[in-house]
Order: sequence, then structure tokens, then C-alpha cells
Amino acid sequence: MSFDPLQLSRDALQVTLVGGLLALDRRGAFQLMVSQPLVVIPVLGLMFGQLDTALWMGALVQLLWMASLIVGASVPPNETLASVVIGGTVLLYARHFGTPDVAVQAMAILVGAPVAWVGRWLDIRLERENLSLCARADEAARAGAPFALSRLPAVGLLRTFAAEGSLIALGLVLSILCVAIARPLLGRPEVKAFEVVGIYLLPALGLAVALTTVRRRRALLLSAASFVLVLIGLRYLEVQ
Amino acid sequence: MSTLQGTLAAGAPAAEAPVRRVGRVTLFRVLWRSFFFQAACNYERMQNVGFAFCILPALTRLYQGEDLKRAMTRHLEFFNSHPYMTDALLGATVRLEEEHAAGRIGEERIQGFKATMMGPMAAIGDSFFWASLKPFAAALAVAGVFSDVPWAPLVFLLLYNMFHLVLRIYGLFAGYRMGERVFEKLYQIDLVQFSDRSHYLAGVCIGVGGALLVEHATRSRAALGQNLESVLLIALVLILFQLLKRKVTMIWLLYGFTLLCLGMILGLNAFFPLIERGE
Repeated sequence: MSFDPLQLSRDALQVTLVGGLLALDRRGAFQLMVSQPLVVIPVLGLMFGQLDTALWMGALVQLLWMASLIVGASVPPNETLASVVIGGTVLLYARHFGTPDVAVQAMAILVGAPVAWVGRWLDIRLERENLSLCARADEAARAGAPFALSRLPAVGLLRTFAAEGSLIALGLVLSILCVAIARPLLGRPEVKAFEVVGIYLLPALGLAVALTTVRRRRALLLSAASFVLVLIGLRYLEVQ
Repeated sequence: MSTLQGTLAAGAPAAEAPVRRVGRVTLFRVLWRSFFFQAACNYERMQNVGFAFCILPALTRLYQGEDLKRAMTRHLEFFNSHPYMTDALLGATVRLEEEHAAGRIGEERIQGFKATMMGPMAAIGDSFFWASLKPFAAALAVAGVFSDVPWAPLVFLLLYNMFHLVLRIYGLFAGYRMGERVFEKLYQIDLVQFSDRSHYLAGVCIGVGGALLVEHATRSRAALGQNLESVLLIALVLILFQLLKRKVTMIWLLYGFTLLCLGMILGLNAFFPLIERGE
């Protein structure tokens, strides 16, 4: 596989633009849930012809941030930005460096996860910056200028897009560099260790997080029962 | 009109004028704008700019000059509610604004309605959409992905937005039709009971998804045997779940357990070299 830095930059820019636009859905516009990891990563996967990997990654990242809810005035970690960086890293690795094995996927999640917390800090900063929009809205009202007030949400969206797009671009560059440099340096024991993280630890953590969203004790029991039944059913089918 | 409303704002009785309706097109403009309700969310007055932006087409139809200035300023007060439930409040507020423009009610009634209703609406929206429907739809779609259903994300979007869009559109028009009584109507839909039930459905989906995930994990490696690995994996899920319940954050668990895992495997391999070095 030949490495073309120009093509990699173009692909990274594409991920940034699409990811930045989808990220607006999280709070600023529409809120149709296209900003959820389960949708964002497969959309990027479709762009790069890697839907199978993207679906799997999307589901795993969705589980990890299932409890991230924007309730009231709370600002949770920004799972959308993290999922764009994680998904983008795996997909760009597949396009430019080789097959993204489980070790690469696990490394991408470990390197990309902090972006969610940086994104949270950025969201708080943006809300503070939006105070200036509030002041401009007051001025527009005093002047009786509806058009001036109507422009303000667009300014807010542009700010969000610029800030979050910059974070995605920075996170993506750092993440792809880390993974592309570190992966060839790993020996077999390290690769095996990352595989254990990718195959066992990350799904287990994702399931544990998902279970915390179930708020009824009986629902948890139901969850355990359906888990056991399906597992027994699958084993029975396998024996058959 | 301006003098009339000034008198009403002060609480004095005044003569009534015929109510001027804003029309369906204006309501659709309000609906479209409500999709950008949180674009200028800020720390001080939260969604105030969004609310004023959404209701502006109705205000410009009803008022001019000083009245318009007063109306715009009125809707730039503090506002914080659930974005989807706000459409019902917007519809009801448009109706109240019509009556205010006709001199039938004072502006403090509009302010009071918004201030009273934003909390209960937010509570219903948060518990139904964020805490129930979203986890349920996501758990269903995740279980779908783990069963190799490639269009599972579409199911997530369709299921979620079926409720989201219907409630937004219905909420706006019901709010406009019923005015201040819109909360009673929304309460009758019993979203709270549905959100209670969706926890059970989400539980089942997470259970099924978990079983499929365990099956996938143990089938792909199974160094210790499928059954033993399944039990170990379930034990790991339960340990992590208990730690999360004790307020240990996901990021600490992610890096803490990764370091533990890497350390154990590499440490053990240093003493008992089962895995050879080299690619």
C-alpha cells in the first residue's frame, strides 16, 4: 500500500468537514441524532468504502458513551467529536497504512477518547462566548431590528462549526500519527495485549455503561435473563 | 395599540379588540426555526436567543414599532427547557401573543406561562427522550449491528425521529390550538408511562446485544475455552458496572483497566514467555 501524504490530507479534510457538519446536529441544529457515534462512524465508513468496520466501531463507541446525555444545563463529554476522531483514524489507517486489525481499533479508541473531554471544555467555552450573542440580541430588540436578531443563531452555528472542526482536525492528525507510528513498533506480545483490550475490555466496558442507562431494577433482571437466554440459544445452535 | 398594551401591562382593564391570527405559514416558519433553537445557547439566559428567534415570525406579524421592541425584549428573558417540548410552548405562546396584541391579556401572563411551563416540559422531555427513548433506540440498533444487520443505524434514526418529529409538529399546532391548556394534552399522552416501559425494552436489547458481543468475542479468540471466557467476560461487565454505579467515571475505567490489562499480559509474558516477540 503506497502512502500519499497529499491524499491523506485530503481525506482528513473530508472527515473534518463531514464530521464538523454532523456534529452541529448534537445541540445547535435539528437534533435528529445523526451526530450519534452509531450514525457518524458508518457515514464516514460509507464515504471510504469501509462500512463493515465502521458499523462495528460505531456500535462499540455508541455503547461507551451511551450514558452521555445533555440533560438540563449539564454539559457532558462530546461523544460526537470523539467518534469522528476514532472512526476517522481507523478508516484513514485502512485507506493509507493497511488493514485496521483489532489492535489498531483499540489504539484508536484509547487515543481518541480524550477528545470527548476536550470537546466538553470547548462546549463550555462556546456557551460563554455566546454571551456576546445574547448582548447583540438585546441590542437588536432595543433597536426593533428583527433581521439582526434572526442572524444570531447562524453566527452561533458558524462558531460551533469552526471550533469543533478545528478540534476534529487537530485530534485526527494527532491520532492518526500516534497509531500509524506506534502500530509497526509493536511486537507480538503488545499486539496480543491490545487485542485483549479490543475484544474483551472495551465491549465489557461498553455493556457496563449501557446497563447504567437502565433505571429500573426489574429491567436489569430482564436484561440479565435475555442475555442468558440468547447466549444459551446461540450455543445450542452452534452444537446443532 | 401601544398605549393599550402599556395600560394592560400595568394591570389596568382595557377594551378588547378582535384577535388577529398569524396564519399557518407563520406557524410553519416558527416550526422550521425551532430546529435551530439551541444554536445560540448561552450560560446566562440559556435558550433565550433561540426562543426569541423562533417566535420572531409571529411577533413581526402581530406588532410594529415600539410594540415589536417590547415583544422582542419580552422573549429575551431567561428560558431553559427541553428543545423538542419547546415547540408546544412556542405554539401556546404565539396564541397568547395574539390575545395580547388584541388587548385581551397582559404581558405578565405570557411571561408567567413561559416561566411556569418550561420546567415541567423540560422534565417530561428529559425523562422521555434523553433517559428513555434514546438509550432504547440505541440499544436496539447496537444489538442489530452485532447481529450483522447493516441498516441498524437507520432503524435507530427512524425509531427516534418518529417520536421526535411527530411530537414537535403536533406540539406546535396543539399548543397554538389549545393555548395554556397544552400541558394537559401532553400529560394525557402519558409519555412518562411510555418512558417507564422503554427501560424494560432497553434492558432486553442490551441483554441481547451483550450476548451477541460475548459470543463474538469468545468465538474470535477462545484461548481458555468458550464457556470459561464467557463467564470471565460477564464477571468483568459486572465489576465495571458496579464501579460505574459507585461514580467511577468511564474514562478512569477505560485507562485504568487498559493499563492493568496491558501490564498483566506483558508482565506475565516476561516471566512465562508464551507469546514470541516479532511480528
